[in-house]
Amino acid sequence: MESDDMDYSDDDDLDDAMDYYGNEDDIDNVDPKKTDPEFFMYECLTVDEVEKVLNESVEKLSNSLKITPSLAKVLLNEHRWNSNDIIDRYRDNASNLLVSSRIKSGNGKKVAHVTLLCPVCIQSHTFDKFQNLSCGHSFCKNCWSMHFEIQVSQGISTQIRCMAAGCDVLVPEDLVLSLISRPQVRDKYNQFSFQDYVKSHPELRFCPGTNCQVIIRSQDLSSKKASCKTCQTSFCFQCGNDYHAPTNCVTIKKWLTKCADDSETANYISANTKDCPKCNICIEKNGGCNHMQCMNCKHDFCWMCLHDWKSHGSEYYECSRYKENPNIANESAHAQNLIHLQAREALKKYLHYYERWENHSKSLQLEQQTLERLKNRINEKVMKGLNSTWIDWQYLFTAATLLAKCRYTLQYTYPFAYYASMDPTSSRKDLFEYQQAQLEAEIENLSWKIERAETTDRGEIENQMDICEKRRLTLLKDFFPTTTSDMNS
Amino acid sequence: MSGAANRRLQKELADMRASGLRSFRDIEVDDRNILIWSGSICPDNPPYSKGAFRIEIIFPAEYPFKPPKIAFKTKIYHPNIDEKGQVCLPIISAENWKPATKTDQVIQALVALVNEPEPEHPLRAELAEEYLKDRKKFMKNAEEFTRKHSEKRHD
Repeated sequence: MESDDMDYSDDDDLDDAMDYYGNEDDIDNVDPKKTDPEFFMYECLTVDEVEKVLNESVEKLSNSLKITPSLAKVLLNEHRWNSNDIIDRYRDNASNLLVSSRIKSGNGKKVAHVTLLCPVCIQSHTFDKFQNLSCGHSFCKNCWSMHFEIQVSQGISTQIRCMAAGCDVLVPEDLVLSLISRPQVRDKYNQFSFQDYVKSHPELRFCPGTNCQVIIRSQDLSSKKASCKTCQTSFCFQCGNDYHAPTNCVTIKKWLTKCADDSETANYISANTKDCPKCNICIEKNGGCNHMQCMNCKHDFCWMCLHDWKSHGSEYYECSRYKENPNIANESAHAQNLIHLQAREALKKYLHYYERWENHSKSLQLEQQTLERLKNRINEKVMKGLNSTWIDWQYLFTAATLLAKCRYTLQYTYPFAYYASMDPTSSRKDLFEYQQAQLEAEIENLSWKIERAETTDRGEIENQMDICEKRRLTLLKDFFPTTTSDMNS
Repeated sequence: MSGAANRRLQKELADMRASGLRSFRDIEVDDRNILIWSGSICPDNPPYSKGAFRIEIIFPAEYPFKPPKIAFKTKIYHPNIDEKGQVCLPIISAENWKPATKTDQVIQALVALVNEPEPEHPLRAELAEEYLKDRKKFMKNAEEFTRKHSEKRHD
């Protein structure tokens, strides 16, 4: 819309003026890197744009080392596209670099080729039908071509190696493309090697969105949130998973694996088992009868009240005793009991964090539904013309978006808290828990207010939004690693 | 099947029969299908040194650009060979395969694996554990198993 308006105006003058004020603004503004813990500079590129970026690197390296573009590509792909590092190492010891990059054979001397019999297909050919790599292993071109096609059909491209047993020398792109005849196979090869190049390039990430072709580029290699401008998918630029501040990449991976491994087991254990009141071994109830006998210590007890079975007399099924948590931890000092007790304690602790993690995830979904209901209610009100217009309600949608953003961060504070709680040396645990509690309280407050919003509450809700976002940013500023070096510590 | 596969296999078969590998004998190939070979592995090391083990080698039509598959037809008590006779041999995995690798090199790798089990990456975890923790018991079980199930050796 803006650009449409612009078309009617005197372009040059206005542009200049905008630029002028724009620049002025930049000087006035504080560096966003310092004020916003989630600030992230990145761009969304198409495949063609990325190819251009890659080709520029290839050309530069090929010119400065005086090698073919094809070999430059192998070098870059093997060294995460770090041109300066490659050039330094090449100047230092070119031979070493070429061997470690699998361009040259480490065995030094070339294999002397005496016969005109191809060892792969056992056929004689004239000399010109043979082809070898720098390692000297010579095979007929037909066999090379067949080898390339089969490798490409298995999804292998930049990692295609020499056909000789035990030889690790890589086949450069120009040779592969010169010997593959079928166009579909060439396309496949180009497609697969492009994927390899992007994956080995530290500044590039494929957008994880389904069927999305966009590639995100950033020089800031940290665990910040990148959002694809085409498909709207958001992800962590560093690990490619869902954005997970304030938890770091390593921890969130550990947490998600743990949840996947444990949630079934943990749910089952908490739903279907109890600890024996005498020896604390974990017991699964596998029948209807509430008279339990512990396999471990032969203690007879009631499943319902966990008291000694004898105290029930004959009316066990009418068990109506008040169920108090039998605290016998202090009484039983057996080492084995302690282990069981610790295991159960560990599980309880995990469940504590897991339940909250799950709960916020569900709340996020529920709030989405609430928003839908709100929309309908607002529609009704506006249609009836009850002293409000559509515009009066717009702030509520902004509020709901902010609520979702805050709750998302809150959800991801729980894995952080779980692992912080395991680390007794973590001195900032108390501060984190305090900030987390504050954030949680303000978020619930905002959620409550949004559900019951009327036009008159606008000021109050906007105030609450401000508080929530400030709390969220404070927590992230204090605990979310903002640079790559923080990540490693 | 491509001409390459046929020529390669004819040549490899002739070479192997001529050289007469001690650890791989009685090579049989179907007259109508050179892609299926069988033969007997004769390991040197106990607990397998008293027996012969039939194996089947199946070559793909794309041979030698794709690796052959190997399966044991004789039951064997070995951490790296499962009950179905499947064996995990890196030299013939799709990632490692090289078209210039010859079948006798594959057989030698297989015999080496039978002679020296690799319990670090087992197909049968329980045998690997026994092999590592109670070598005596493993040897006894394997020898008994070999006596019961393996083929006669005509040395």
